[in-house]
Amino acid sequence: MIYFLCLILFSIGLYCVLRKRNLIKIIIGLGIMEYAVNLFFILVGYRLEGRSPIFAKEKIILSMVDPIPQALVLTAIVIGLAVTALIVAIAIRIYERYGTFDITQIRKLKG
Amino acid sequence: MIELNLILIFMILAALVAVEIKDLLSSVVAVGAVGLGLSLAFLLLKAPDLAITQLVVEILCLIILIRATIKKDLPFSTSGRWLFNTISTLIFMAIFLFFAYFAIKDLPKMGEPLIKVSKFYLERGKDLTGATNLVSSVILDFRAYDTLGEATVLFTAVIGVLAVLRKVGKIH
Amino acid sequence: MLPLFVAIPLGTAFVISLVGKFYKRLSDLLANFGCFLLLILSFFTLSTLNHKPSTILVYKIGGWIPPFGICMVLDGLTSFMLITVNLVTFLVAIYSISYMEKYTDKWKFWTLFMLMLAGMNGVIITGDMFNLFVFLEISAISSYALVAFGTEAEELEASFKYAIMGSVASSFILLGVAILYSHTSTLNMADMANVLSEKSSDLLKFVSVLFLMGFGLKAALVPFHAWLPDAHPSAPASISAMLSGIFIKVLGIYALSRIVFNVFGLTPLISSIFITLGILSMILGGFLAFGQIDIKRLYAYSSISQIGYITLSLGLGTPQGVMAGLFHLFNHSLFKSLLFLNSGAIESVTQTRDLRRMGGLMQKAPLISYTNIIGAMSISGIPPLNGFFSKLLIVLACIQAKRLDLATAAILVSILTLIYYLKATGMAFFGTAKTQNSAKKISFSMNFSLVILSILCLIGGLILIPNVSDIFLKKAVNALLNGKNYANLVFEALK
Repeated sequence: MIYFLCLILFSIGLYCVLRKRNLIKIIIGLGIMEYAVNLFFILVGYRLEGRSPIFAKEKIILSMVDPIPQALVLTAIVIGLAVTALIVAIAIRIYERYGTFDITQIRKLKG
Repeated sequence: MIELNLILIFMILAALVAVEIKDLLSSVVAVGAVGLGLSLAFLLLKAPDLAITQLVVEILCLIILIRATIKKDLPFSTSGRWLFNTISTLIFMAIFLFFAYFAIKDLPKMGEPLIKVSKFYLERGKDLTGATNLVSSVILDFRAYDTLGEATVLFTAVIGVLAVLRKVGKIH
Repeated sequence: MLPLFVAIPLGTAFVISLVGKFYKRLSDLLANFGCFLLLILSFFTLSTLNHKPSTILVYKIGGWIPPFGICMVLDGLTSFMLITVNLVTFLVAIYSISYMEKYTDKWKFWTLFMLMLAGMNGVIITGDMFNLFVFLEISAISSYALVAFGTEAEELEASFKYAIMGSVASSFILLGVAILYSHTSTLNMADMANVLSEKSSDLLKFVSVLFLMGFGLKAALVPFHAWLPDAHPSAPASISAMLSGIFIKVLGIYALSRIVFNVFGLTPLISSIFITLGILSMILGGFLAFGQIDIKRLYAYSSISQIGYITLSLGLGTPQGVMAGLFHLFNHSLFKSLLFLNSGAIESVTQTRDLRRMGGLMQKAPLISYTNIIGAMSISGIPPLNGFFSKLLIVLACIQAKRLDLATAAILVSILTLIYYLKATGMAFFGTAKTQNSAKKISFSMNFSLVILSILCLIGGLILIPNVSDIFLKKAVNALLNGKNYANLVFEALK
């Protein structure tokens, strides 16, 4: 059931990318999609009554959550940051050239 | 796991606010709230490294986005086939969620994952690599190649931003 | 030897970014030298494969045995794609030495170029799903920056649309990898193939659709092609050649077919989806190319059409179909990059991309005209150039699979391709010159690449000779057709 809520977050992000007219809103939608996918990954690796996969002295460890999705999501978060930074740089330059953030006005290429 | 459900519902509401609100600065702040909710969810799911990373990356993203939105305002006007396009997007999303629901039902139940490869890491990771934080052992030893790829992605994005933000592109 | 394919471009990129600003000629030299080394290494992989009995080579990174570590796999399809990618990249790199003098900050171009090459090589040789995603992102991000390299208004707009669509596709791919990980609890492709053949479920259909949407957008299959006609014309000509020639094939077709054939296994449902998308791309690309007056936009729509051919033929799933598809993939890289490099040369000479304003280039620039005509004849399928053989093989494969409707569609779209290429070459090269163009000479490096590529187009049909095709094409076809046997081969090679 929680997986389903996570996918609802994903589709909210997808709706924002597809339907909004402002460049910054589109970038925000993309960010929401990335958050949803990262959350989905970690939800998949969770074990009930587990603890984080870090050893500590003098404690008896019963079970730990899955460490692989955490490693993968660390990489995915950084990749998301890199993409967002590049796309925002492009958006800033577009504003300097076109004077607007409205995507329906940015239409020099046609056909 | 009632707290997790509550945090997810908070994130969904904040995302709806970020998507629909008209002022750009407020929607960026709402995305910050979604990121904060995500960081709390990572803490609840017993992933402390991720919570720290998510907070730092969230702060950087907010700074970048706010730099882009200073002094720019949002005109909103509906024109033409707005209703048709919105309805068709909503139908597409509904179909996507419908099929996703059936696919999700086949996954292992929440909280009981199939741990096959990770069992090896959990049992022998500390002896083989000498790290007490098993996530670090995965990132820096077993799957160090992915970390090289991630560092390269950051490098690429930096060079890309330098290339896009330069003053003169073509020599005419 | 396998890690060198990623290590050399990465090392070159880092060194160029450090010293390129101060020593301009050094960055040119380093980048071309790196590409040349990679070309020699990729031919070397072919000979390595010939000597091993089991035709597969696995390299464990860090010494960890998969599935507990990442592995790189070298089989027939890998070496085929490596040769294609590195050959075209080497020729484009030589071309760019003089073409990119028009732009400022050439060292940034070379850095991003080598990073894109490192990403593509990484995608080809990897044997792990998440690693595929990471290297996909490396090359995708560098291509977003490269399309916007000129920072003119149109280029930024095209790059923005391309970047948003590409990132949405990457999110779909990551979601698919997450669902697969939850279902099988492993990330290694060979291990996943083993686990998936034991459990069968409906989950695979949803994940296949997610991967189709993600990789299909990178490959510009038809419902997801909207970024290509804007991005490819706006990029600098060498980047258009790279994008249209190898990028959409490696990141789209290769990754999709590796996952679908070797990890999931080709089911009739996926096969029919490939065939449908292929037919749609062929027809739609062909019709939309018809009315174009910008020469690079026409080439971009023609790319969509040819990718449809490749997808159609791969979707047939028969040995003849797969061989025809892979051969057309190789040929299309050659002649599409030739055509795009040519359009860059035309743009240097006439300062315009509008077909209505060109004319009479045959007298002023004969070398460009002849290479363009060779490229146009190849892509339309005129014998004895290589395009004819690959299109003939595709039609024969359709007939042998008893799908005569597909064969007729392929022939009709091929005739349509011939018509619009005739129109384009007629308008550009024959007739009287419309405007007073300054007859600038293009430099030796651009000429060199154009001539080499056209020679390769002329002799490309010779690959079908049984001796040559055994070592080059047949291994690739067998690697794909092995299907789930890929997993057994990988685990055999590990012992």
